[in-house]
Amino acid sequence: MRRQAAFRRSVPTALFLCALPVGAIVLSLFFGRYAISPSDVLSALFRPSAVPHAVLVTVRQLRLPRALAAAFVGASLSASGAAFQSVFRNPLVNSGILGVSNGAGFGACLAIVCFGSGFFTYALSFLFGAAAVVLSYFAGRIAKRNTVIMLILGGTIVSAFFAALVSLLKYIADPYSQLPAITFWLMGSFASVGVPHLAAVIPMSLGMGLIFLCRRRIDVLSMGEREAAALGVDVRLCSLLVIGGATLCTASAVCISGTIGWVGLVIPHIGRMLVGSENTKLIPASISLGAGFLVIVDLLSRCLTGSEIPIGILCALIGTPFFVYLLKTRKGGGWL
Amino acid sequence: MILDIRALSFSYDASPVLRDVSLSMDAGEIVCVVGPNGSGKTTLLDCVTGYLRPQQGEIDICAKPLRTYRRQALAQKIAYVPQHHHPTFPYRVRDVVLMGRTAHTGLLGAFSDADAEAADDAMRQVGIDDLADRAYHTLSGGELRLVMLARALAQKPRLIVLDEPTVSLDFRNELQFLEALTALVKARNIGALIATHALSHAFFFERAGIPVRTALLCKGQPMRLGTPQEILTRETLADAFGVEAQISETTAQGETVRQITLLRTIDKEDGTA
Repeated sequence: MRRQAAFRRSVPTALFLCALPVGAIVLSLFFGRYAISPSDVLSALFRPSAVPHAVLVTVRQLRLPRALAAAFVGASLSASGAAFQSVFRNPLVNSGILGVSNGAGFGACLAIVCFGSGFFTYALSFLFGAAAVVLSYFAGRIAKRNTVIMLILGGTIVSAFFAALVSLLKYIADPYSQLPAITFWLMGSFASVGVPHLAAVIPMSLGMGLIFLCRRRIDVLSMGEREAAALGVDVRLCSLLVIGGATLCTASAVCISGTIGWVGLVIPHIGRMLVGSENTKLIPASISLGAGFLVIVDLLSRCLTGSEIPIGILCALIGTPFFVYLLKTRKGGGWL
Repeated sequence: MILDIRALSFSYDASPVLRDVSLSMDAGEIVCVVGPNGSGKTTLLDCVTGYLRPQQGEIDICAKPLRTYRRQALAQKIAYVPQHHHPTFPYRVRDVVLMGRTAHTGLLGAFSDADAEAADDAMRQVGIDDLADRAYHTLSGGELRLVMLARALAQKPRLIVLDEPTVSLDFRNELQFLEALTALVKARNIGALIATHALSHAFFFERAGIPVRTALLCKGQPMRLGTPQEILTRETLADAFGVEAQISETTAQGETVRQITLLRTIDKEDGTA
């Protein structure tokens, strides 16, 4: 009985969470700098022969891939953030805690300085993002005890190391051509995303899938290392799987979008307010909230002003008041 | 025999903590591990739960060497009640207790109806079924300990390992915890290995009619093991803790009640005030 009642209460939230990303993606097909009538957008999707080529390209090869990329990036960052917060037992942790953002940032800057932009930006940012996590992981494993604190410390140190390298590259970069590219990349943007970038959807999905499969173990891991072990969880293997999954999806996300902060920290908290702390619900909720949120923010970033506002900036500008509003109206939902 | 420790030694880096410890326990028995701070109580418990790997000696759990167990199989035999638990995220009590069933789930950790029932049973037995839907970070210290006990119980273990389970509880909550523990040791015929500073708990379990022994750990000395009456004497307390104590017997409601009164600290070496 009680279970049924609880189930009924959660139905509206579940429907909202399912509809949010889909609705946001559909909505973002209809707006943009290049004005297209709603009927033309529909035709471009379902009757491609009936619309001019330019309309077809805009809807199918610019707006749709861009919205999909934003959705997957938002979902990846939020899912990893939620998983990391639980595994590290720390609500202040975000998806970049193990250095993936700064590592990827360095990789991208290195590519911009050495090769100009292009393929190498993606390859190197993914590579260095993943390498930073591996470094943090081994730094954290040096200590035999308190591995959680050591991992966070390791991640912070490795992040600082790569941040310093980024500063160094900015310092030596050509101020007229390379420096603007670096700055723009570091602020995050989906402006250059096209159909080929959607290849990143595969590793992002794999990473999120891995996190999703571990969701019940993540609950247990959040009880602390000693208790999780006593409850029958292979702590080392499990945290390795979660960290691996999170790294796979964050590194892929960051390499197509640049650094986007805020999402991986705050979306999981919004998720907790809506559905509670259990990762069985929290991980899926974070995935759809993150996806919906980033698609909408990206839509605003390309529509609000004549030139695009970098999405990293807009995320925090829109997200923070929204978070405060939620905190006030939902009283934190038992959380915070 | 559910637990058999033979000639166990453990040291952190160069400093030895446990030396040549042997202890075996049957189902339905309680062993209280006492000793000063830093004497290795928690270390002994960590070795038994498999959290630490001893350098020497053997530990058998249910007649099988501990090191041959996989984590999940071990968790079906041994449950652990921590000394401190700091709630980080506001799980509901029901969900925390349900996590005790992790050891009985498959690869993905999905819980069945049987698991939910076992968790409900555990909450009922510990007497916290009315807390089931509360967020566990809003509970009092006493209630939180009972949740931890229920979670351990939901694991359906043969042995429960408890690390100072009643520390920082008020005396009613302390008694309530002891009563709950006593009831389930009797009802489910499981063993309990308890590290504690409350010396008189051993007497409490004795009065409740449970076979109980006290193990006294002290740095640099072999572990002393025996009935509470044998171990908790004026001499051993002076020797191990450096306190002068008086052990008295009174009769309350027709029962003999042993009591330890701590008088003053003394110098350990010469045993004088």
